Amino acid sequence: MNGRVGIIGIGYTAAQPTTPYSSFKELMFEAAQRAYFDAGIDAAEVESFVTCAEDLNTGLSIFDEYTPDQLGAVQKPMHTLTQDGLHGIADAVMQIKSGLVEVVAVEAHSKASNILTPDWILDYAVDPIFNRPLGFNPHALAGLEMNLFLHETGITPQQVSQVAAKNRTNALRNPLAAYPARLTADDTAAGPYAHYPLRETEMAQTADGCVVVVLASDDKARAAASQPLWVRGIGFANDSPTLESRDWVHAEYTRIAAQMAYRMAGITNPAREIDFFEVDDTYAYKELQHLIALGLYPNRPGEAGRALEQGLTRPDGKTPVNVSGGCLGLGWTLEASGLYRIVELVLQLRGQAGPRQLPGAKMGLAQSWRGVPTTSGAVAILSSEQKPWE
Amino acid sequence: MKTPKNVETHVWRGGIPLESRYTAGLGGQIFFQALKERGELVGTRCAACKQVYVPARAFCERCFAELTEEVKVSPEGTLVSFTFSAYDRDANRLAEPVALALVKLDGATTTMLHRLLRVTSPEQVRIGARVKVVLKPKAKRTGSILDIEGFQLA
Repeated sequence: MNGRVGIIGIGYTAAQPTTPYSSFKELMFEAAQRAYFDAGIDAAEVESFVTCAEDLNTGLSIFDEYTPDQLGAVQKPMHTLTQDGLHGIADAVMQIKSGLVEVVAVEAHSKASNILTPDWILDYAVDPIFNRPLGFNPHALAGLEMNLFLHETGITPQQVSQVAAKNRTNALRNPLAAYPARLTADDTAAGPYAHYPLRETEMAQTADGCVVVVLASDDKARAAASQPLWVRGIGFANDSPTLESRDWVHAEYTRIAAQMAYRMAGITNPAREIDFFEVDDTYAYKELQHLIALGLYPNRPGEAGRALEQGLTRPDGKTPVNVSGGCLGLGWTLEASGLYRIVELVLQLRGQAGPRQLPGAKMGLAQSWRGVPTTSGAVAILSSEQKPWE
Repeated sequence: MKTPKNVETHVWRGGIPLESRYTAGLGGQIFFQALKERGELVGTRCAACKQVYVPARAFCERCFAELTEEVKVSPEGTLVSFTFSAYDRDANRLAEPVALALVKLDGATTTMLHRLLRVTSPEQVRIGARVKVVLKPKAKRTGSILDIEGFQLA
């Protein structure tokens, strides 16, 4: 076998502010049914399963115990990662590349509307000895980071407001999006401060939803019912966990994850070689910080703000970013966020993105971040074409 | 399954008492003891990486060395970043936002997060400003990060 890995099926529910009629297991069942149908396989043909979930977000301990049945994973190899779904894609790639199995399903979901104390859960992730006793709302860490990021890069608050307006507006063309709105930068800049200089309008709102992605070996992928997309690169990394010694300006976790993925994909000039980007924007400034870390503006980070102003990251620009609407427009689906980025890549690369279809898109990049207070990120590069030398 | 019409959507609430004990460790003990008894800020140095970690730690996160050299740093430093946070931990909007500061103390290579005292609006603060640590009086110190009241503009 040659070690190539393809995505052969995706299944998903729309991201919604609330899902009162469906349990989380039913959301997963629906997404899994659609994914297996899309791949043209039976659940029994999936050999291994990866779910991505954080116990406290699910309201349950040892979440692994709650996942086999609704995915068709009973009496099968399966495990749970407490990570964003993109780490699950990396996990599946490793399982297939090792030759251990040939077909893997990766799942991540959000039932955020059932979390009654979300900020307390984030607070519980903050260092209990040196930081937590201060008693601050954990999203304040994003305010601190944004302030320093703007100061060091020269990116302006107006440009950050423009990111929020762009992504909410992009979401108007995405039927999966929970928070589409036609907004201008003036609209979003009028939002009150939540954690100065971060405005409420620049923070993604949570949404419920589930995504299942089926990956397969080269042989299985070429025989699949749907057009396979090839995982050309994958990477993941963390910066220092401590607030005291991490890099607050550069998203090092993303830079390192991207270098890993670029090396695997043989990419030397991402801005030129990759057609579109889906990156984490749980806070609007994060889109710009992550694009810089992905190496799009290697000479001057401040370019990120100017490129945005010039419309280069709009759907009709040279390097479209978050055509899906991102977390700001589609909704922040917690651990499923990275997999919603993958859904957009797959739809675009298959030419199934409807009114938001990017003409001629052949290669896309998805990037995820685990949110405050973490420095945990992952990058995946998908293409409709295999590497020319493979 | 079809979505049922005109029926009550059933939900249950549940929770557990979730409480933990956290051990400060050797590095933490060095820091908190110096803070409580002498009102000093103590870190550890990694000579190889030219790092001074404050609060003190037992190991270097860069080169994985065990750290044994203690260093006292200045109670004054530079404001690296700040925010005015309008929410409490329970996601309620506060009447007055809380100011937080990220500060690099003179002699340290790491930053410290604490409250920024005696400021009420961002216009009063700028990144790069000089700040100093405000300690609680010795009688009130217990060996906690809250033995520091916060930073104030110098």
